[in-house]
Formats: sequence, structure tokens, C-alpha cells
Amino acid sequence: MIEQLPILNMLIFLMAALIIPLLNRRVFTLTLVMGFMVLLSVLISSVVLLVHVNTVGEFYYRFGNYLSFIGIEFKIDAFSTLFTTFIVGLTMLIYLYSCGDATDGISEAEYGRYYILLFILMFSIFGIIYTNDLFNAYVFMEILSLTSCSIISIKRKKENYTASFRYVMLNEVGSLSYLFGIALLYMVTGYTNMSLVFESIQEAWVVYPANIMTACGFMIVGVGIKAAIFPFHIWLPDAHSHAPSSSSAILSAIVVKVYLLLMVKVLFRAFGVDIIKALDIPVILMIIAGFGMIMGSFFALAQKDVKRMLGYSSVAQIGYILLGISFMTHIGLSAAFFHIMSHGLMKAALFLSVGAIIYYQRVRKINQFDGMGYKMPLSMIVFGLAALGMIGIPPTIGFISKLNLGLAALDRGMIIFIVIIVISGLLNAMYYLPIMISAFLKGEKVNKIAGIEKIPVVMMIPIVILGLLILVIGIYPDLIYGLIENAVNAIL
Amino acid sequence: MFILNLILEHINYLGGVALFIIGLHTVVTHKNLIKKVMGINIMATGIFLFFVAIGNVTGGVPPIIVEGSNPIFINPMPSVLILTGIVVSVSITVYALSLVIRIYQTYGTIDQEEIVKIQNEEQTDD
Repeated sequence: MIEQLPILNMLIFLMAALIIPLLNRRVFTLTLVMGFMVLLSVLISSVVLLVHVNTVGEFYYRFGNYLSFIGIEFKIDAFSTLFTTFIVGLTMLIYLYSCGDATDGISEAEYGRYYILLFILMFSIFGIIYTNDLFNAYVFMEILSLTSCSIISIKRKKENYTASFRYVMLNEVGSLSYLFGIALLYMVTGYTNMSLVFESIQEAWVVYPANIMTACGFMIVGVGIKAAIFPFHIWLPDAHSHAPSSSSAILSAIVVKVYLLLMVKVLFRAFGVDIIKALDIPVILMIIAGFGMIMGSFFALAQKDVKRMLGYSSVAQIGYILLGISFMTHIGLSAAFFHIMSHGLMKAALFLSVGAIIYYQRVRKINQFDGMGYKMPLSMIVFGLAALGMIGIPPTIGFISKLNLGLAALDRGMIIFIVIIVISGLLNAMYYLPIMISAFLKGEKVNKIAGIEKIPVVMMIPIVILGLLILVIGIYPDLIYGLIENAVNAIL
Repeated sequence: MFILNLILEHINYLGGVALFIIGLHTVVTHKNLIKKVMGINIMATGIFLFFVAIGNVTGGVPPIIVEGSNPIFINPMPSVLILTGIVVSVSITVYALSLVIRIYQTYGTIDQEEIVKIQNEEQTDD
């Protein structure tokens, strides 16, 4: 029975997406309750899988029991179960929030459609993380790019159309580059299955190094465009700032990370560390990551719109994750995985609390935040916590991930990257602290905090839970560190 | 002469790569949004041709077993994969074109530069 859970997870999402249109004549609450039950059941089954994999061991799911070189294969191991559990848990919080906030810019007839897109998006994310087949990952990637563009353009505004058009164009260039990489790899190895490619690539490397080099370049660029790695980030600020707040949280906290996870799988599972090192890919990735960490923060400094600023901040944070990956060591990869999780939590908290502020106070500009700490105390406190995490102040989760990254850099003897991490942290402080100072210290103080703001409970719960998680995991990082160690062992 | 032979032997691959580059050039340089969508399609076609060319074997026949004969079969896997690729490419094109229609309805133009100009004017109005 437990072997069937991965495919059941994905089928449940697909079924939910198909059932929602049938419910559109009923009360809308019914759809919301059903969606919540779907996410809850998938969360439970993901946790069951996570426990099973960490105690019993990994297993493969082969569709129709075809041999793995012609069929499609899912690899269920500590890596894939950890991240699916994390993603579905985070999505559940964002989903709860979106129940209260769904009206923000989306017309009433589109509510149901928004959740259809959300469930197909989750389906494709699960597919990308589970699959052990390069071409299968491409198909899921295209579903993901279609749905993630659609949850931006569902808000019927001019800017959304242009933002998602730019997003779909760059996404498509990225997917096609990735497909070209698959073609070049298939040419020399004859497989699309990652484990089989890894087995035969050692011999192919001796005979056709040019093919493998080109394939590696195309695949990294293709996934890199979609993951908004620094020079390819131009679509991200527009897309993330114009989308509805819950979409921004999903895009920034989850979708971008999924592509980075795919990149980890392609680099370590398909090519293997030896070939990647022989091609000097780690050095290239390190340089890109270093530039991204600094430049993303610089761009963020110049922004006036708070959601645009958060978008540019994501570019810098993706640089951190890429830096961890590019060290190619055990400690570096575990730092990268930890930062994927910590940035997911912090960015979701930031976008959701800013979303609540935008929705109830109708302000988007950074200079309009004066005294916001008294009008919306709860949202601003969570925003402050997450912002402190972004800067890397100790009791938060962000400090732990920066510490790990620093240790990983020290392990490789790269002192320069510790300097870059510190500079980037200071730049983060330069654009996050002014917001908090103006929110809590400026403005009229006549009306002291008159109690917490009146936002719907479904919006308040996720914000509070995210705030608590940022603190709790920051104080007890061992809660998830054991799982991350297992995930790294499954990759390396 | 050697180079000419090399080109002639790999003409199917080179054709695919050439289409890919023409498509990329169209996407990057053209201002017209519909031409950008066309560029994406040309890129996709280039890769599809490249992929199918991998599976070809000189003198091979389609892999249908006929009793009595024992011919060389071509590899059907790339063609099967590309069938999926074509479907994906069509759906992306449809979505992109529907966005172009929306953009035309709201901005009244499908020229990238004019759209940017309109957006900048609106930003200064705020």
C-alpha cells in the first residue's frame, strides 16, 4: 500500500482540479473545504512516506512495471519525500491565507479557477521532485510554467498581462534549452533515466566530451532561467510584484525552489560530481552566485514598491542557495537545503504579511509605512521577524542558514565568500530596517496599540504559524537537520 | 573538403541547431509580440528535428516486425518523446497568443517598445 502513496498524492491533486468546476454552482465554501481536505490528506501521506523512507529505505515506483530504460520511474527517497512534505505543508498555510484574501484583484467568477490552477501546479511540483527521468521532468516543468504564468495573469490588470507574457517567453526559452540538453545527452548515452544516464555517462565522457559539455551548459542555463539565477532574473520582479499576494508567496517560496532542486538532481544524479568538477561548473556557479548575492540586494535597495523589493531580495537569496550547491560538498549541500527551507518560510511570511497590509491599508510604497506597526501590529511583527531572519539576526532561522553557509565556505577555504555573505547581509539590513523603523518608530503615536488588527482568522493563523516556525526552527535547528542530512546522503 | 564532408554528414543536426538559433534570435530581437511567439515555435521545431534525427539509422525501416525479414530498425523512442513535446509546445503557444490578445485589448498595440512607453507614462502619472 505504501508504495502506491506517491502516485496517489498526485492523482488526488489532479482529481481535485477536475472536481472544482463541478462544484461551481454550490456554495464556494464547499470548494474551500474540499481543497483543504485534499491538502491535508496529501500532507498526511507525505509524512507517512517521509517516515517510511527514513526508517525502512528508499524505493522506486515504475509505471506499468516497464523496465526503467523505456518506462517512467519515480524515485522515492529521503530527498524527494522531505521536500514534498515541506512544500505541501507550506502550501497549506498559503492556501488557508488565500481563503481570506482571494478577493484581492481576482474577480469572483475566477475564484474556482484559481484553485484549479493551484492544484495542477502542486501536481507538477510533486512530479518534478519525485521523477527520476529527465524527459518526464521536462513535461512537468512545462505544466508548472503554464500554471505559474496563469496564476499571475488571473488578476485582470494590464501589468499582469505583460508580466506574465515576459514570464512565459523566458520560461519557454528555458524549457527548450533544457530539452536541447536532454537531446544531446540522449545522443551519447541512449537513456533519459537519470540513474542509467549516470551509469553510461562515464564511458561517453571519454569519447564525446563536447556533447556532454554542451548538454550541461544548456541544462544549467535552461533551469537557471526558470530559477531566476542572477543574470536571468529580469522576469522575476515584475511577475512576483504584480501577482496576487498568495500567488507571489507560492511563486517566490516554492516554484523557484523547485527548479533549484531539479538543478541539484540533474547535476548530481545525471552528470555526477566527477564530470561536473572536470567541466569547472562549480567555479562558474560560484561566481554567478556571488554576483547574484550582491547585485540582487543592490537592486532591492533602489525599489519603492515593497513587493518589488521582496522580488529582488529573492534574487539575492537564490544566490545563497546556488552558492551552497556550487561547493559540491556535503556541508555545502546541506546548507543549501536548509536555506531552501528557511527562505521558503521567511519569504512566505514576508509576502503574506505584506499582502495583509496591502489588502487592508491599500499601501504599496515603502514610504507609506509610517506608523504601520500600530495599525497592523501582528502583520508588522511577523514581517519584522522574517526581515530579521533575512538579515541573519541570531534567534531566527535565517541566522542558522547563514552560519551553515559560512561554515561551508570555510570548509572549502573560500574566505571571499564569507565577506560576500556579510556584505549581502548588511545590504539586506539597509533595505529591511528602514521599513521597520518607519513602521514602529515614526508616525503619530497617539493611538497606542489598541489590540491586534481585525483580519480574518484564516489569514491570521498562517501568518502566526510562519512567525513561530521562523523562531522555533531558529532556536532548535536540529528538528529538521537530521532529515536534511539524510536527504543530502541520498543525493551525494 | 574535409569540413564540407563534416557538414554534409551532420546536415540533419546542423539544420536543427540553425533553426534553434534563428528562433532564439527572433525571440530576443523582434519587437512584435506575435513574432516572439513565432520565434518560440521555430526554436521548438529545431529541437524536435534534432531529437528525431538522433533516432534515425541509415537504411533503417520503421520498427514494425514483419515475419521472415530481419531489417535494421530505426530508434522509435525519440519520435515518441517528441510527440509529447509537440503537444506541450502547442499549449504554450495557445496560452501566449491568448495573452497577446489581452495585451492588444488593454494597450491597443502589440509592439513591445510602445507598451513600455505607455507603462512608463503611467508610472510618472502616479
